[in-house]
Amino acid sequence: MDFKKQFKEGLLTKNPVFVQLLGMCSTLAITTSLFNGIGMGLSVTIILICSNVLISALRKVIPSQIRIAAYIVIIAGFVTIVDLLLQAYLPALSESLGVFIPLIVVNCVILGRAEAFASKNGVLASAVDGLCQGIGYTVALVIMCVVRELLGAGTFGGGILNGGQGIRIIPEGYPALQLIMPVGGFLTLGVLVALFQYLMSRMEKRKKEAAEK
Amino acid sequence: MKKSKTMLRDILRLSVTLLLITGMMAAVLAGINQLTAPRIAQAREAKTIAALSAVLPDAEYAQKRADFPDATGLVSEVYESEQGYALKVTPSGFDNTITMMVGVDRSGRVLGVSVISHTETPGLGAVSAEDTPKGEAFRHQFVGMSGTLAVSKDGGNVDALTGATITSRAVTAGVNAALACVDAMN
Repeated sequence: MDFKKQFKEGLLTKNPVFVQLLGMCSTLAITTSLFNGIGMGLSVTIILICSNVLISALRKVIPSQIRIAAYIVIIAGFVTIVDLLLQAYLPALSESLGVFIPLIVVNCVILGRAEAFASKNGVLASAVDGLCQGIGYTVALVIMCVVRELLGAGTFGGGILNGGQGIRIIPEGYPALQLIMPVGGFLTLGVLVALFQYLMSRMEKRKKEAAEK
Repeated sequence: MKKSKTMLRDILRLSVTLLLITGMMAAVLAGINQLTAPRIAQAREAKTIAALSAVLPDAEYAQKRADFPDATGLVSEVYESEQGYALKVTPSGFDNTITMMVGVDRSGRVLGVSVISHTETPGLGAVSAEDTPKGEAFRHQFVGMSGTLAVSKDGGNVDALTGATITSRAVTAGVNAALACVDAMN
């Protein structure tokens, strides 16, 4: 098991949002304030670890013909557990994320990792994979949130800092509201994916040049 | 003969495995539900009470009314107290219903408006529910109004939120429904 490699994959080379382009629905919809991004990211991470562990533990029991059905049942179970716990203990976050918590069931990050990793690897490796992919997803969401909130609402840390209003950086009336709206989600994601790919390719090029020398 | 037997065994194996997995998850869910149900109900109750005391000055004496006239179909709960009424109304917002509480005094004037839950656009319609100066000013303008209201774009005197005419119309429709209901009760 190579923890370092898995971590690098989750965060950079196989980042679920910027490279694998998985879980776009929630990425575009909820990244309007830092609070939402962190809450969604952590919820997905917890569900991802749990479902990865259980699916990996049951990988020899689940017949391949019905594996997708079994995965969905397991994932839906964990999502509902998180949904109920959030409603009971963090109603503000539950309110803010709304329907996107139950919709984690169909978030491709989770089914994708179940199919691509947990069904082929051991329990511990799968747990680490869940954690790393989850961190990669959370970091991507947080970057999206910070950009959209700053340019769209002119604040930083909405929902957490300064009594939930966020710290105002751009004075009211100047921010481009479009960035908070769905169209802004697409724009931000497109620019970030392009930027991410550019940086990655530059890193690779440098590595190659260093190797050639 | 032999072939059909293995097929039968295969089908049984698949369905029993799936049944077991589903049963296991169902059992876990039942447990979690038992654990969280009282707290969830409590959180919902607390929200209604908070909204109630935001729109009625003597909310602690408010009694829930069993029956009330509801011509608009938007009123879901009515609380009555010495000072007036608090009505839970659910008008249609930008992409889903807005649940809000409207306080109305005995003479049919608005005492206060409070949004309980909504799914309006953050930064635009969602401002109507926020505890920011903008949101408070928007909700406060209803206080003292009576009759049938409309946003200024439709010839009324309710100032709509910037870029959120639909949400502002929805909140106004909710207030109208509450006023109509109180009018029918008086």
